Amino acid sequence: MERRVVITGAGVLSTLGDAPGALHTALCEGRTGLRPIGLFPTKGLASQQAHELADFAPKDYLGKKNLRALDRTSRLVIAAAALALDHSGWTSELRREHEVGLVLGTMFCSVRTISEFDRRGLTLGPSYVSPMDFANTVINAAAGQAAIWHDLRGVNSTIATGLTSGLQAIAYATDQIRSGQATALLAGGAEELCFESFYGFERAGLLCASENGNGAYPIPFDARRNGLTLGEGAALLMLEDAESATVRGATILAEIKGHGSGYDLSRGTQKHTSIDAVSRTLQQALQDAGMDAVEIDGLSASANGSVRSDVNEAQAIAKVFGDHTANLPVTAVKSMLGETLGASGALQTLAFVESMRDGVLPGIRDLEYLETDISLPLASSHNQQATLHRGLISSVGLDGHCCALILSQYGGQ
Amino acid sequence: MQSRIVVTGLGMVTSIGIGSDAFWQHVLAGQSGIGLVESFDTSGYKGTKGAEVKGFQAADYLTMLNPEHMGRASQFATVAARLAVADAHLDVAHIIPERAGVSMGTTSGEPNQIERFNDHFVDENLSGIGPEFIASYPCHVIPAHVASEVGFAGINTMIPTACAAGNYAIAHAFDTLRSGRADVMLAGGADAFSRITYTGFARLGAIAPDTCQPFDRHRKGMIPGEGAAILVLEPLERALDRGAPIYAEVAGYGLSCDAHHITAAHPEGDGSARAMEKALAYSGINPESVSYISAHGTGTPTNDHRETMAVKRVFKDAAYQVPMSSIKSMLGHTMGAASAIEAAACALAIRHGCIPPTMNLEEPDPECDLDYVPNRARECAVTVAMNNAYAFGGNNSSLILKKCEV
Repeated sequence: MERRVVITGAGVLSTLGDAPGALHTALCEGRTGLRPIGLFPTKGLASQQAHELADFAPKDYLGKKNLRALDRTSRLVIAAAALALDHSGWTSELRREHEVGLVLGTMFCSVRTISEFDRRGLTLGPSYVSPMDFANTVINAAAGQAAIWHDLRGVNSTIATGLTSGLQAIAYATDQIRSGQATALLAGGAEELCFESFYGFERAGLLCASENGNGAYPIPFDARRNGLTLGEGAALLMLEDAESATVRGATILAEIKGHGSGYDLSRGTQKHTSIDAVSRTLQQALQDAGMDAVEIDGLSASANGSVRSDVNEAQAIAKVFGDHTANLPVTAVKSMLGETLGASGALQTLAFVESMRDGVLPGIRDLEYLETDISLPLASSHNQQATLHRGLISSVGLDGHCCALILSQYGGQ
Repeated sequence: MQSRIVVTGLGMVTSIGIGSDAFWQHVLAGQSGIGLVESFDTSGYKGTKGAEVKGFQAADYLTMLNPEHMGRASQFATVAARLAVADAHLDVAHIIPERAGVSMGTTSGEPNQIERFNDHFVDENLSGIGPEFIASYPCHVIPAHVASEVGFAGINTMIPTACAAGNYAIAHAFDTLRSGRADVMLAGGADAFSRITYTGFARLGAIAPDTCQPFDRHRKGMIPGEGAAILVLEPLERALDRGAPIYAEVAGYGLSCDAHHITAAHPEGDGSARAMEKALAYSGINPESVSYISAHGTGTPTNDHRETMAVKRVFKDAAYQVPMSSIKSMLGHTMGAASAIEAAACALAIRHGCIPPTMNLEEPDPECDLDYVPNRARECAVTVAMNNAYAFGGNNSSLILKKCEV
């Protein structure tokens, strides 16, 4: 008998709050974390704003000691893990007795750390780099640092599938628990904002302000959309085997019912294969959960304002849900949080858990003119009151990666 | 009843040979891929040696993708994938693309792409960086390129757990197949020779001046290397149905985390011992039944000693009976590719009944007193092989392959 996987807590650091409830409230108020960039000089860049965690103070979460050896990504992960462990009641005593693990989704880990290390070697010579900095250049560094900080001795994995990393990490952790390889895993994603990734996205013409100046902002599914904005943050969920969570008296927030993954062989360049990749990923998740599309009460889309992929995702949703699309509330939280890359799928999931508890799905900020070939009748800037028993999270990457996850309220059925 | 998963094909790009036949012949002969680094200038470094893949032309092997649009790790990976698919006699026309996936591991992804970015940055020539950077640098492009080359449209993942990544990727593919999410998976690891990696290991004082001598009393460190290996994994029934060659069965794996130090292993090898114990338990195999251990065996003083301690803790008296070798003595440390290449070596050892040697083991270390198969390959039946790999971040892994009894 396969184990059931439940969510017993969450930790978040976002531009719209550092607690799941606060984030949900901000999303429902339609706030945005978009602001002028302070982390790096933006002179000469076409776009100069992002969803930056301007007031992130790691010492507020972790104390002052031992922070020096950690880069921004590691600090985000360790702080989010502290919040999630605390929220789910995994005290340090409990963690000594039971193995807790961590599955982290990230697109780059810290490409800033990697680059600064390389550039120091280039300009000063290879003897002038720091060995501690080198340790942080590996893409699993943040997960490793978090394990050390919190004594997480169980499975420790890093998943890098670009924009879908955070959701793919939750899917991976779910399977580890289902198959009995682990009983308690923190799972989610993190990404820091830095010059290297920002410049890469700008040069690729993916940022809305690259073409349209700093007044531009992302409007998922809207006819006026012209690109994404980058963001940063971290979100981790505590996933546990339902039985052991019940035995230890944990509060169960939601259940993970299934997931699906696929790859678009055209890497987003062909409409038909892209729609097909997203729709079969959604279908695979439904099949894994043993559900019909009509049983889904709400959907959190990956849409981030990108010209091409927003339409493909919307058409894939319409294809899977058919007539039920007319009754399906859809949100796109990247309209407010920006594209947080490896963190995004985890942020969507965490926000959706709050929506299920509260019965309100946030509207899509500034969405006024739904793109003509998008038929998502309930996608709008208005919040949707809905009894959300079951929800679907969709995550779509730039290079063909797709992932979907199904959540439900936990009823012990 | 969960399905049994078998290895039906191998694709390898290594410093001692491209293709599993060339690799196997040379690894048994003790041939070394270690030489002076050619891909960049090592003056100013504590270290001049590396194990680079030389004379490699990806275009000779690829049919779909243009290697000029890919980084070196993707070139290795796509070529390894082509070779693996051919070795497994996989007829792609008979595969449902949506049921065929890719699971890869790496340490650095495409490091040459960010190095080029930094060259431009340092030269104050940012306009030299174009849209190709974001399209070719992030490490998830490696499995994406593999999938696009062979036409696999199923689950596509990258697990960048540094020097243990290949094992993590194979374990993930194994789980994906066992849970029925795919019919066939390509799984492995790839890493390209990198200035960043070389700089880091040189600064750590970890690079040996001359060669890699795992378990030798005078071992002086590791040698950075590069390469890729990809294994074709599929359910046993499917392999039997299509009459595929079967190298070995994947018996199980174990993963753990030291949660101790970001670069150094736990002083008592606690995490690595727990990974081995989990792998044995998962596989339902007693330590006494293991016929070969493919060691992490980097050649650094601490790694080899701690790995030896961990093996003794898990295997107890049997530790002295199990041959354990490190092919890093020939290939250097190929980073995220290493455990995939070593897993392929385990599969070949099972098929051919022969264990590759630990080369350059001249003077035994009193603290490393196990049977390391010194300097000469050994013919013997291999029914169960354990593949160990450890990484920065304290990421430990053990994968177990066994002879497939039908």
